[in-house]
Amino acid sequence: MSTIEKSPPTSAAAPEPQRPRSHVRSALRGDVLFAVVAFGVAVLAILPGRDGAGTSISTMQLVASMAAMTVAAVGLNLLVGYTKLVSLGQGGFYAIGAYASAYLTLDVGLPPLLAILGALTLCGAIGAVVAVSSMRLRGPQFAVITLVLAVLVERILNEGNAFGRLAGYPNYAEHDTTSMEPVSVFGITFRPPMIAGEVATVMVPIVVVTVLVLIIARNIAKSPWGSSLSAIGESEMLAAHLGVNVFRRKISVFVLASVLGGLGGVIVTQAFAHLQPETFDIYLTITIVLAVVFGGSGTILGPLVGAVAIVWLEQSDILAEIGSFQQENISDTWYLSTSGLVGVLFILTLFLMPRGIVGTAGQLLATVMHSRAAGPDAASAELTAGAAADQRAEDGAAAATTSTGQHARVERPPAASGPDTAEPMLRISGLSKNFGGLRAVAEMDLAVDGGQIHAIIGPNGAGKSTLANLLTGVYQPTEGTVTFLGRDLTGQAPHHVSRAGVARTFQTPQLFHDATVRANVLAGFADTGRTPLWAAALKPPGRYRRDAEMRAEADRLLDLVGLGDVAELRASELPYGKQRSLEIARALAGEPQLIVLDEPAAGLLATESVVLGDLLLSLRAEGFALVVVEHHMDLVARIADQVTCMDQGRLLARGTPSEVLSDEAVVAAYLGKPHEEGTH
Amino acid sequence: MEPVILGLVLGGLYALLAQSFVLTFITTKTLNFAVGEFVALGAFATIAVSSWSWLPSFGRVAVGFLAASVVGALAYRFIVLPFTTQGEHDTRWLLSTVALSFVMLNLITNVEGPSPQRSGTARLGGSVDVLGVGVSKQQLLLAVLAVVISLILIVVSQRTSIGLVMRAVSQDPETTSLMGISPRLVGMGAYAVAMGLAGLAGVLYAATVGASPVMGAPLLVASIAVAVIGGLGSLWGPLLGGALYGVLSEVASFQYGAIWGETAGLLLVIAVLVWKPEGLLGRRMEVKL
Repeated sequence: MSTIEKSPPTSAAAPEPQRPRSHVRSALRGDVLFAVVAFGVAVLAILPGRDGAGTSISTMQLVASMAAMTVAAVGLNLLVGYTKLVSLGQGGFYAIGAYASAYLTLDVGLPPLLAILGALTLCGAIGAVVAVSSMRLRGPQFAVITLVLAVLVERILNEGNAFGRLAGYPNYAEHDTTSMEPVSVFGITFRPPMIAGEVATVMVPIVVVTVLVLIIARNIAKSPWGSSLSAIGESEMLAAHLGVNVFRRKISVFVLASVLGGLGGVIVTQAFAHLQPETFDIYLTITIVLAVVFGGSGTILGPLVGAVAIVWLEQSDILAEIGSFQQENISDTWYLSTSGLVGVLFILTLFLMPRGIVGTAGQLLATVMHSRAAGPDAASAELTAGAAADQRAEDGAAAATTSTGQHARVERPPAASGPDTAEPMLRISGLSKNFGGLRAVAEMDLAVDGGQIHAIIGPNGAGKSTLANLLTGVYQPTEGTVTFLGRDLTGQAPHHVSRAGVARTFQTPQLFHDATVRANVLAGFADTGRTPLWAAALKPPGRYRRDAEMRAEADRLLDLVGLGDVAELRASELPYGKQRSLEIARALAGEPQLIVLDEPAAGLLATESVVLGDLLLSLRAEGFALVVVEHHMDLVARIADQVTCMDQGRLLARGTPSEVLSDEAVVAAYLGKPHEEGTH
Repeated sequence: MEPVILGLVLGGLYALLAQSFVLTFITTKTLNFAVGEFVALGAFATIAVSSWSWLPSFGRVAVGFLAASVVGALAYRFIVLPFTTQGEHDTRWLLSTVALSFVMLNLITNVEGPSPQRSGTARLGGSVDVLGVGVSKQQLLLAVLAVVISLILIVVSQRTSIGLVMRAVSQDPETTSLMGISPRLVGMGAYAVAMGLAGLAGVLYAATVGASPVMGAPLLVASIAVAVIGGLGSLWGPLLGGALYGVLSEVASFQYGAIWGETAGLLLVIAVLVWKPEGLLGRRMEVKL
């Protein structure tokens, strides 16, 4: 608020028309640059094999292994890095992709491209089954179920007769050959790097596919679809309140990761033309996880860097040399060889570089840039200036309201247009919730209209937060109905409620602490829940425009709540009061018509609480309906049109603030009789 | 009938190991994915002292238990604990214990060599007749031991102050530490007992199949499956899970071949997790906002 007062309208308004277009241009430039560099590196990687010299065969095989590992790791990164679901099953999908594409070609007789497509579909289908069955699990249980899958696949490959067991696939006994025919498409034969003097043409599609996968993953990570994954990783409840169908999105990301795991396997099949079951063991699945963590989980380039580094380490002589060095200098028997050293590397990475190579490098770079631009100084000076201004704002509530009204417009919500104009925007009737024997909320009624602030007060354990949770779909009501804009929202899941136009803030701010303030607001747009996967992956031109629009809108909302100057800071760097403002800005980004605020003033300084009051009043003036669960009576008295006081789940009193606050029963509930500290 | 009895007996071995998962899970909310290597560690520690004729065989078994238990406590302190500091969504310990399993497996292989070694300690020869089915005495011992140890753990956790401390630490380590109890020490204690049990299982198992570095790997998946089926939060869970998993996998492999035995057991895990994610005997935790 205060920052708005200080900054003249021109500074925000003047570059406004220019901004979106320049954002589109710089985003486009970034994407093109990434693609050009990626293809350039890919060409350099396969250049040594251009004349098919015998000496280049091992290099080409190394590049192919790196490419396969990269593709699988990119898929796993979407799960582990963004969605924070630790899967130990990626090696299983890798193996399925490799074996299924070979089996469908050799034993079923499909054309190779169809076989590859079939193998990827199979991976996706198995991924979908595993995902549906494990979606309620988190942490160790999810890891266990994916590990079970990887083990199952390993056993079947090692013991199933159809796959030749230890003879490998294909093998002499079954197929009269130990290597698959190279794929031919339109007269071009894609030969694997095996025979000296023959150009390993398959390397071209391998690196092209790898680069495309990287580009697609980058698009996804930077899209609203990607932020929905981060939201799920932060808190599924939060993601649902941002309008994300958490169940479906988790299944989609798991299927996508499975398909990419399978694609890694397909690359192996094409590059080596022969499969051995013992190479697809638990060690492999863990190596893929290591590649992600080592490179930097949750970063775009992390899986690539990690996969390249791990494959190179394993294939080079370095680890073997470290092993023999120990044997010579420490002990003949008490030493670690390759797999043990990889384990040590894994533990050291977790200790010393939890963000991985790319994450750590990025952090260092950011620190250097930060100190050079004197960023933090400027920002913190801004924050202190803001606090000082907060002081001044105390006496000028009306001034603040008008100043917000002038140049920081809120998207005016369309007038409440239910079928019946007499019907209020939100109507709750007879709503009850039982937790076992406890009746947390009993037969509550509530009606709120646009341009109204309805405060809900009551002693601890009165059921206020439960009511808020019933309203936004966290809990299913035991009985009663919730109607919003003429739609029945009773018992709807949080993402349905959110999409219907109800946003909310939480008792303890639920933010993406590592993301910037602006990114937090961006996650609040409806796009987070609505962008389809294909659009996120392919990034059609409309996406660029929408991204620029969203960015401009996010900056406007940040100005509105007084955070315009700290948009680039990390959310965790904000003081507590500003974090609450940020949550409100994020709620506004979803263009809601009703905002439910759960104790927005809890933990705020008196001055901050006044600024918050100004903000809420300005939102009311814009036509929003607000339901505010609050303890601070001075705030309630100042802003509320109507106050409902609850006690032990029931309606105790209702009316204007002055009526309710002077009600004897209300005073008694707060002061008169002792109450047990309940949950809320 | 035969596969059912054999399945129950086999389930005993898995249940014993599953108990070590449950023990660490209810106190520290972590699982040690290196349990398989602690099985091998216990077995090899006992073999290492098998030439000490002055030590009675009970003592040699105890050496196996203690070796695994000391390493287990250290593993918790240095490999698990540092990776549990970021709240309940922190799963880095999962990766660090997997990495520990790599390191231990590699080290044991380099020291002891890959081929199985005979272990004569605590070996019971012959078999006994259970309901008309011949069961090897050694396997029966493991199954009986699993039941006895489970019962002891249940009594200890419900009737003694140690159990109270364990449950308190698992529910709220922060508050417990305010009461003057060190969650770190309790965690190390839990890991010591849990890995000791794994070592014990290794000693007794090695007497039948011999000790080898990879002997624990197949047991890891089966026992973790058993623990998940029963419920990671319940000390009764491993007994029920072990019985179900053992019988189902024996019956399936008896009917359709060995590969289907394991597959059926693992499919059971998936089925249980879909139906009751907290396991058959686990209790569901309400998420609060």
